[in-house]
Amino acid sequence: MARPLGSTDQRLRPVHGGAPTAGRDRLTRRCRDALAAYAFISPAYVLFLVFLAGPLLGAIVLSLYSWQLLGSSEFIGLDNFRTLAQDDVALRSIGNTFAFTFWSVVLHIGLGLPLALAVNRAMPTILSYVLRASVFFPMLVSWAAVSLIWKYILDPNFGVINYYLERLGIAAPTFLVDPDWAMPALIVVDLWKTIGFTFIILLAGLQGIPSHLYDAARVDGASAVQRFWNVTLPMLSPTLFFATIITFIGAFQIFEPMFIMTGGGPKDSTLSIVMHIYETAFRRFEMGYASALALVVFVVIMIVTLVQLRIGRYWVHYE
Amino acid sequence: MSSSRQIAGRWLLNAALVVLGLLMFAPFYWMLLNAVLPERLAFKLPPIWWPQDLTLDHFGKVFELIPFGMFVVNSLKITAIVTVGVLVTSTLAAYAFARLQFPGRDVLFIVLLASLMVPGQVTVVPTFIVLRTLGLVDTHEAVYLPQLINVLGIFLLRQWFLTLPRELEDAARIDGAGHVGILRHVVVPLSGPPLAALAIFCSQQAWNDFFWPNIMLSSPEKMTLPVGLVYLQGQYGTGSPVVIFAAIAMVVVPVLILFLAAQRPITQSLALTGLRG
Repeated sequence: MARPLGSTDQRLRPVHGGAPTAGRDRLTRRCRDALAAYAFISPAYVLFLVFLAGPLLGAIVLSLYSWQLLGSSEFIGLDNFRTLAQDDVALRSIGNTFAFTFWSVVLHIGLGLPLALAVNRAMPTILSYVLRASVFFPMLVSWAAVSLIWKYILDPNFGVINYYLERLGIAAPTFLVDPDWAMPALIVVDLWKTIGFTFIILLAGLQGIPSHLYDAARVDGASAVQRFWNVTLPMLSPTLFFATIITFIGAFQIFEPMFIMTGGGPKDSTLSIVMHIYETAFRRFEMGYASALALVVFVVIMIVTLVQLRIGRYWVHYE
Repeated sequence: MSSSRQIAGRWLLNAALVVLGLLMFAPFYWMLLNAVLPERLAFKLPPIWWPQDLTLDHFGKVFELIPFGMFVVNSLKITAIVTVGVLVTSTLAAYAFARLQFPGRDVLFIVLLASLMVPGQVTVVPTFIVLRTLGLVDTHEAVYLPQLINVLGIFLLRQWFLTLPRELEDAARIDGAGHVGILRHVVVPLSGPPLAALAIFCSQQAWNDFFWPNIMLSSPEKMTLPVGLVYLQGQYGTGSPVVIFAAIAMVVVPVLILFLAAQRPITQSLALTGLRG
């Protein structure tokens, strides 16, 4: 690629000479470009149609059927959705998922922001490095490994958490066995695993705020608290907004820790929607009903995201 | 110019952050301890945080109980296919959407982008039925085929390609290069950062994925590492957990080494692609 860029005289010269052929060349070149383009997008697009677009339409069709995977199928209209409205277990799973998601968003932002603020200042390089590494690392480990480790950490017999709580004189509940404590325990495990992500994007957002804004605020005599409310928060609001939506979407689809650590129990107290979809489809093989449940997840995520976008207009500040 | 109180406050905060860092890492340290402590000392309370007596016996037992080596090979194979496959399909499509004129381009692109809003779980049941109809249940194809399309990757690469100067491509074209030549010799060499980010993101996802392989794979010799770990726990859950912890350690330690070697690119890539695992 050593050829100089300025070889425009060559570009302007018609390749085959005469003007009439130049017009046809342009046409055939457009044709060739279009053919190349279709060839280039076809691998991605075929996969997209088979594994994303097709299945989405398939889920809508399936939700109108009663279909046992190995048995008969029957068109039942909206009956699946009517059943769902009275299905206590399904409603329980939706309630559980909302509770999990609410606390997940509150804790990720509520703890991730102070953590990012605490790290975004002058400190020894080694401390900053170690802290970023230890906070972010659980993100990279599979949920399978994380869930198994925490299953034993929270074990009432040889778990370390119960041991140290009792040493501190706190009567610790048997976390994963107690219906009141299993979900809070899973919320904390999820927080430990994924707060590194919130932390890293908030930190990047903080570092993107131009320092001259702080200098100007200081010249105007703004205190540290005023600088936070009037510079940091408005400038960080797009990042905070993004982190909120991503945390919401991720939390709403939680599956692995329930599946591996509690199996949705005790007494369905940790049954999430996705876990319920999994059990409906792959344990009871009710493919139509599982699709109806999945569509409900889709609609809920859509509605909440749209509401967040709407509310975002009032507090997110774009330059 | 800061007062001694401010300095004290700063060091107090630093100390608190050190404690936090240790607490964040403690679960992994406890897991590693129980993987190398002899069975009579493992899982003891209070825990032995600074052990004298170490053993590597449990690692051998893992290989006796489960085809751990096969899990590693399967995970490597699927991760490699997904990563290379996504890079190829996404680069080709992104180049067409960024640089070529063709009928229907904008509609096709918007339809693709709209699918980003669809949560993965919605398509699970129909995708399973498609793969079952193709006779692919309990095969690796069933695990990697649906992952070869990555709409986010196409979007990221397209945005990057749009920023590349067109003059370079025009020059290559005059030299007689076709689109494949332009891609290989001009576009790809200039797109290191987003390609690396996408590769790190995809390999991390494919390597750690549990939900989908757990649905598709049932024979132990076909399982990936995450599915195999949970399978081991299910099979031998009533036995001593030291063997399970040895297996977990063999999964976590290589990730830890990789992470310490390339912390910055890894964190930046995952922050860029903007999805939590």
